[in-house]
Amino acid sequence: MRYARGIAAVLAALGVAASAPAEVVRETDPETGLVSWRWQGEALSLELVQRLPDQSRAFFLGRGFERDNSDAIAAACIFQTILRNEASGEGGPTLRVDLNEWRVVRNEKAVPPRLEKQWEPRWEETGASQAARVAFRWSLFPSRQQFEPGDYNWGMIPFGPGPGERFDLRIVWHEDGETRRGVMRDLRCAPDVADPRKEEPK
Amino acid sequence: MMRALIHGLLAAVLCWGAAAGAEQTLTELPERPPAPDFTLEDMDGNSHSLSDYRGQAVIVNFWATWCPPCREEMPSMQRGWEQVRDEDIALLAVNVGETADQIFVFTADYPVEFPLLLDRDGSVTDDWPVKGLPTTFVVDPEGRIVYRAVGGRAWDDPALLDQVRSLVDGG
Repeated sequence: MRYARGIAAVLAALGVAASAPAEVVRETDPETGLVSWRWQGEALSLELVQRLPDQSRAFFLGRGFERDNSDAIAAACIFQTILRNEASGEGGPTLRVDLNEWRVVRNEKAVPPRLEKQWEPRWEETGASQAARVAFRWSLFPSRQQFEPGDYNWGMIPFGPGPGERFDLRIVWHEDGETRRGVMRDLRCAPDVADPRKEEPK
Repeated sequence: MMRALIHGLLAAVLCWGAAAGAEQTLTELPERPPAPDFTLEDMDGNSHSLSDYRGQAVIVNFWATWCPPCREEMPSMQRGWEQVRDEDIALLAVNVGETADQIFVFTADYPVEFPLLLDRDGSVTDDWPVKGLPTTFVVDPEGRIVYRAVGGRAWDDPALLDQVRSLVDGG
């Protein structure tokens, strides 16, 4: 009950092209203060969960990155991302997702998320270890992936804006070859604080 | 704080998995591509080659200790393994990019009896059509990939295990 009271759920209708109306549920975890946004479409569901910069910094330091590289990843607005094909059984649609088609919209500019390929020159330049690179690659959400009914995946997506900054996210997916689009509005990167519950309201 | 975060994430995936419905599926690959062979060491330094298991169905799971759905499905893999270990079915769990010490600590909380293989540099994983973790393949006794599961599954589900059994029962 206490948990339920602590969750602030906001339902917002979204404009979705070529698909039935979807909705986004925004929740704040009362224990961590972290915010998540969950999109539920017909077959595709998508959940984005804030990760504190400190979480990401510690994760990548523990997997062999030097401090500068860990700081750079941590500051890149990482969300834990869970994408699922909710269809079940044979005959359900195949979903195809290419994150290169997604856009982070902020200050009237739209850019793709900072995907794995964009980080590789930095790893080369700084001599990041093989172990660190392997960990980075496999902890990120795959840039391109196909989801059969019942398939799902977890992974981090670095969206790019700085800690605490807000943005809209244009998402694109392909459902049995048909392109679907949607917009998730007013997402916020986790602030660079130890405990978001104690952050000053903005 | 960190423990609360981890518990929250695990609770979320558990709830979501339950809410997502009971029907589980393995995606059949009709073209049945040949499974890339590999030789990897387990936690005790023993080598395992996929080709050693020719004549059996092999469940090949790619995972990492830090991956929440990998942790979530691991106990069910052990329970599933207990159901099929005396049949012509093998289970190999290929860890991507971690050390034996990291896996050793992990198995204190997630004890399993099937081989945990170390793909330290990720090169074996690169040879397989793996996009994210966990991904699991079922290889038939002729060494062909027949099924794929992207994301975790409840591997003690009789419906899933029956699909694997069908490969050694002449399916």
